Amino acid sequence: MIRSWFDWVDAMPSSIAIREAVYGYPYLLTAHAVSMALFAGLIIMMDLRLLGWAFKRTPLTQVQKQLFPWQMFLMAVSSLTGAVLFYGQPLRYYGKVFFWTKMALMLFAGLNALYFHFTTYKTVAAWDTSDQPPTGAKLAGALSLVLWAGVVIFGRITAYNWMTFSN
Amino acid sequence: MLPFFQWLESLKFGAGSEYTVASINVTHLLCLVVFIGAVLVVDLRLLGTGMRRQPLSDVVRSAQPWLLGGFAGMFVTGSLQVVATPMKAYFSDQFWLKMELLIVAIILTFFVRSFAAQRDEAPGWLKPVGLVSILLWSFIAVQGRLIGLLQ
Repeated sequence: MIRSWFDWVDAMPSSIAIREAVYGYPYLLTAHAVSMALFAGLIIMMDLRLLGWAFKRTPLTQVQKQLFPWQMFLMAVSSLTGAVLFYGQPLRYYGKVFFWTKMALMLFAGLNALYFHFTTYKTVAAWDTSDQPPTGAKLAGALSLVLWAGVVIFGRITAYNWMTFSN
Repeated sequence: MLPFFQWLESLKFGAGSEYTVASINVTHLLCLVVFIGAVLVVDLRLLGTGMRRQPLSDVVRSAQPWLLGGFAGMFVTGSLQVVATPMKAYFSDQFWLKMELLIVAIILTFFVRSFAAQRDEAPGWLKPVGLVSILLWSFIAVQGRLIGLLQ
């Protein structure tokens, strides 16, 4: 079923146009990679605060709230360029194990952030200024660090032809 | 410069292993993420956004180990990449542009911007430095990615 969607997108004139824009691909991929790196950088700075490894004198809510708009902006740029890349070559990504691994890691990273937001973060008022957040927060920070590093790694190696199945 | 790059080529470091080159590249990228994060928090603070309620000197001091660590990691892995694929670098316009801009960015970040470390609030002249720093490092990252794509 999923495969038929990919076929459908692949046959669209706009998808073909993106695929055939020879000079478009390098610049699009570069915009995607660089916005992703900036996004991940700001996420990691927040994770370091959660782990109690950096910005210890800044209340956690400040780090979180003030970096959030920038993280969202960069995620929007990265998602948009990523979506166009995908739209242009759906069948190329369909057969890539690394691409699907990256999608799964992103999903887990999102779930981790949501879970933290609705559990440990509820009590943030009690430990906002503490340089050593509770275990739940440290765990969320560590998971976020590992998962987003995984997203970066698998995103980068998606560009190689390993573990790619023709279809 | 060409003889030097040809000599590097003759070392055959990582030759024959696409995996070696790829692991170096991925490590370079991970170091970049840490480095750029540390660059951004300070630049955003200079521009009066991000952690703006925190004294500037505090943000700078806290970001510093990650800035230096990320930079050191990028320097090592970046050098290894040149040693592994010297001809690719030598004949890439993006590589040379990146190296030239890198000199400017290093002076900006480690000399000009480090003045910020001593103050709680950014003096007026330092604010545009934040914007230039974000644009410059992003542009360097763009050139870096393009080395592998435009040949």
